Amino acid sequence: MATTHERELLPTASAARTGAAVRALARPHRRTLAAGFLTLVAATAAGLLTAPVLGRVIDLVAGGAPASAITAPAGWLAVIAVVQGVATAYGLGLVARAGEGMLATLRERFVDRALRLPLERVERAGSGDLTSRVTNDVTVITTVVREAVPALGRSLLTIALTLVALAVLDWRFLLVALLAVPVQAHTVRWYVRRAVPLYAAQRVAIGAQQQELLGSVGGASTVRAFRLEDEHAERVGRRSLAAVELALKGVRLVTRFYSRLNLAEFVGLAAVLAAGFLLVRNGSVSIGTASAAALYFHNLFGPINVALGLVDDAQSALAGLARLIGVADTAPVPSERPAEPARDGTIRVEGVGYSYRPGHPVLHDIDLHIAEKERVALVGASGAGKTTLARLIAGIHAPDTGTLTVGGAEPRPDDAAGSGRRVALVTQEVHVFTGPLADDLRLARPEATDEELREALERVGALRWARALPQGLDTVVGESGHRLTAAQAQQLALARLVLADPPVVVLDEATAEAGSAGARELESAADAAAEGRTALIVAHRLTQAATADRIITLDAGRVVESGPHRELVEAGGRYAELWRAWSDGRRDDL
Amino acid sequence: MRGRDVMRRTVAGQWRSAAGSAVLGAGHQTGEVLVPVVIGVVIDEAIRTGDGSALVRWTIVLALVFTGLSLSYRFCFRLAERASERAAHALRMELTRRTLDPRGGAEAGRLPGELASVASGDTKRVGAVHVALAAGATALAGMLAGGVALLAVSVPLGLLVLLGIPPVLGLAHLLGKPLERHSGAEQERAAHASGVAADLIAGLRVLKGLGAERAAVERYRRTSRDSLAATVRAARAQAWHDGVMLMVTGAFIAVVALVGGRLAVSGDITVGQLVAAVGLAQFLLTPLSILAWANGEFAQGRASAARVAAVLGAPPAVAGGEGGPPRPVRGGIRLVDVAHGDALRKLNLEAAPGEMLGVVTTDPAAATALLRLLGRSADPDSGTVELDGTPLSALDPAEVRRTVLVADHDADLFEGTLLENVAAPAAGRPVEPAMAAASADEVAADLPHGAGTVLTERGRSLSGGQRQRVALARALAAAAPVLVLHDPTTAVDAVTEARIAAGLRAVRAGRTTIVVATGPALLAAADRVVLVEGGAVTAEGVHARLVHEYPAYRAAVL
Repeated sequence: MATTHERELLPTASAARTGAAVRALARPHRRTLAAGFLTLVAATAAGLLTAPVLGRVIDLVAGGAPASAITAPAGWLAVIAVVQGVATAYGLGLVARAGEGMLATLRERFVDRALRLPLERVERAGSGDLTSRVTNDVTVITTVVREAVPALGRSLLTIALTLVALAVLDWRFLLVALLAVPVQAHTVRWYVRRAVPLYAAQRVAIGAQQQELLGSVGGASTVRAFRLEDEHAERVGRRSLAAVELALKGVRLVTRFYSRLNLAEFVGLAAVLAAGFLLVRNGSVSIGTASAAALYFHNLFGPINVALGLVDDAQSALAGLARLIGVADTAPVPSERPAEPARDGTIRVEGVGYSYRPGHPVLHDIDLHIAEKERVALVGASGAGKTTLARLIAGIHAPDTGTLTVGGAEPRPDDAAGSGRRVALVTQEVHVFTGPLADDLRLARPEATDEELREALERVGALRWARALPQGLDTVVGESGHRLTAAQAQQLALARLVLADPPVVVLDEATAEAGSAGARELESAADAAAEGRTALIVAHRLTQAATADRIITLDAGRVVESGPHRELVEAGGRYAELWRAWSDGRRDDL
Repeated sequence: MRGRDVMRRTVAGQWRSAAGSAVLGAGHQTGEVLVPVVIGVVIDEAIRTGDGSALVRWTIVLALVFTGLSLSYRFCFRLAERASERAAHALRMELTRRTLDPRGGAEAGRLPGELASVASGDTKRVGAVHVALAAGATALAGMLAGGVALLAVSVPLGLLVLLGIPPVLGLAHLLGKPLERHSGAEQERAAHASGVAADLIAGLRVLKGLGAERAAVERYRRTSRDSLAATVRAARAQAWHDGVMLMVTGAFIAVVALVGGRLAVSGDITVGQLVAAVGLAQFLLTPLSILAWANGEFAQGRASAARVAAVLGAPPAVAGGEGGPPRPVRGGIRLVDVAHGDALRKLNLEAAPGEMLGVVTTDPAAATALLRLLGRSADPDSGTVELDGTPLSALDPAEVRRTVLVADHDADLFEGTLLENVAAPAAGRPVEPAMAAASADEVAADLPHGAGTVLTERGRSLSGGQRQRVALARALAAAAPVLVLHDPTTAVDAVTEARIAAGLRAVRAGRTTIVVATGPALLAAADRVVLVEGGAVTAEGVHARLVHEYPAYRAAVL
């Protein structure tokens, strides 16, 4: 397969587009969001009443009031606590409901678009691009929406309202408190400039360490077989040390960041105390008010550190958001015409040529007619174009020249009518979907009954092991469940094919990964799955080819032979040569 | 070895940093305590009295306090993080060396990904115990400093706060616990949605191949909506947990203000001391929650340490045998009455020096067992495996592998370029003949940068057939006196397989090669083939004869 073309990453949304998309996501939740925001404002405002009430206590004490006078303000403090607690809980709940709703809509739209992207487009970008968007970006955004956004929101509200409260006490308190702002602004700029590249480097280093561990520790038996133990221990050490170095660099940066914020705290606090001193001396405010101002400012330390500390979380979430929206925005592939019902399973290929890169054709002028329910094996060396031809027939690529029809119509990647399509393609790439085995199978036919599932498994010889699973068809399989062997996973793929029940099947090396031991079993499973359909089988093992109705030998992108096994063997051409090497010849007999 | 030993060694290995960070952490907390105290003093000494010089004096003290707390925080965390990262690195290296040890055994019963995650995740969590230690020490020091400061202000008020805080936090914890537990379970269900999305994307080609996109999208929407409902419930529970905490602590501050205010009215304490006491009461809630966090980290660290210990303490797969094979190595292999598990019983097999021997097994387990024995990854239950007449069990496993290279069917490729992979065991010899024999030169020609192309994800960027050819080229490049290959061409097309069979024969001429396979082209190239059925040899001869004469053989290979 040609993998030589340049990577062309999937789109990323612009900042303006990201903003617009977030606003659009928020629109259905605007009432909830507004209610949540207002409730949180109320909660924060209530919390801020604590300081003036304490100031009132101080003024009462300074004014020589009786002890009983303290009870009322203390009672108020308790009331404030209850109001603040209830309002915070309620407000956070509302904001979470809106935020999670937006998140769910976003991820659903992303998955919907991502699954409908033409495979050609995904491959041009490298499948890693899409995978990293759905894993890393979704995780980062989810964490930020769940943890950082509420914390950031509450902190910002506290900061804003505290500044308002300072101004209410006396506008001059606000003025001096703002002396801290230039220090903070400078610190954040200083930090972000260094943190963004550093964290990016850190992620790369940790990824490299992880890959190295997977390779060296995960591949321990290979390392031992080749006696590369020292070399690999050294490689792991190098990667690990690089990650450690960067982590410590990050720690140094963060601690310097907070040290600088300490400076801002001191500047602001000293200024508020000095202002209090002057204002009390000239009689503008009471001692209680000055105390309240100092307490206000002291209570700002926490929220400010939280808010500024979340700056880089917010940034990485925004970057991830742009990447998700970039994919979610791609127009769904338009259905040019209503999907035509599958009429029959004939394949007609006339004068078809194809190249992945201009000037490097992989297929030349292919002519091929496959009759309804005919079983054709495709044989040839790597690079002969077998897989490319298979993918053209499956509709993944469109031919550059010539015409190609399946059942009288062009196969298109989007011609999925209902849940199936005319041509189904099964390759050596297997994937077991995480979840109950029955759910995995039902992807191919959502309405299938348990009995139909069992029949499909039976047909590909998988029912015996499927029944033997701990919970039978309900056993959770895949990444986080029961691990199936490569051969079982391939049988599962064939069972899905039986359920999807397309008139035409293309099997591209569908039995290759099993190793020789399982190959035969899989071959009979593949034969059973292909029965009653038009089948094009890219075969590695000639015994699989030998049982086909017809064999086509491809060489350098051209059809060089076509005919049934016996005929080709007797003709004494390429295929006959291969078959002799397989069946009984000694190498030097050829 | 037990988790406790791992934990103890981890802490002991970095005790200087750990102790330093604990001391500095205590300094930082003391500073944090002093800030509200100094605010109180400024109110008392300067603002109330209007004494300007006192304001200047105490502002300088405040500056000193800030400098001290800032510096001690900075270096406390640097030391703690350094100890944590270094300890994790040391453990990671120990784990890597244990796993790669020629005697093996560490990976028994573990998936490859699991070992890698122990080496990255668990070592990190064990190392992070240093940060938890520093934080815990810091919190304890903070509570101590806060308590002393409060008692200095007023004994009754100090006692009220110190004795009041544990029940207050206990109450909040008690009220919040069911909510939190609820939240934890819901969060788990919520995380499911991301997992399912990643899984569907990973299976994109399969879905496209079947035309099952629409079914998958529908299913995802349902999962996502389920998750959403669970997440919203979890978030609401978490919100109420936070709200309850606010209520309980706020009510506590009200009590402190009430008692403190009365004490101030009666002249037992000053106004400034009242301010300081309220500030301290708020402050002291933090160290306690830090302690709870540190405790959680310790629990995680302990669980991780147990997993690390299980790997480090795993018994070796093969014990005994220190010697090297007799020199010069001729490369004769002989199995005498070998039994191993259920797969091999009384297997007798011989490969003469320089011979190319094909081995066909009807039972895949027999092939696997044979390979493990030949590379001394395991010793036979009975019987002997000999190299030039010396039993392998008398030889150091590393020495065995210097002579006998076992190339597994599912051998891993490593990070690096294609050429680096092939050349890794070649010790500077030219690799071109090996590349050509394995048709790996064709693989290189198809890649964007030829043999210099970096193989990402351990070669998963290649197709199965490409990967097999590169792995075979590497095995051939090692030029081992004895080479054992297992199914080297199952994912390679018939044309290429025939070419590889010829190339293999040429490149290995004069050296012993054992091919455990069922590919007819490979077997046809062998000097002699043996058929292993029911754990013992049942037929031997050249491929062509076996195909004609033995139905069992024909059934196995064609």
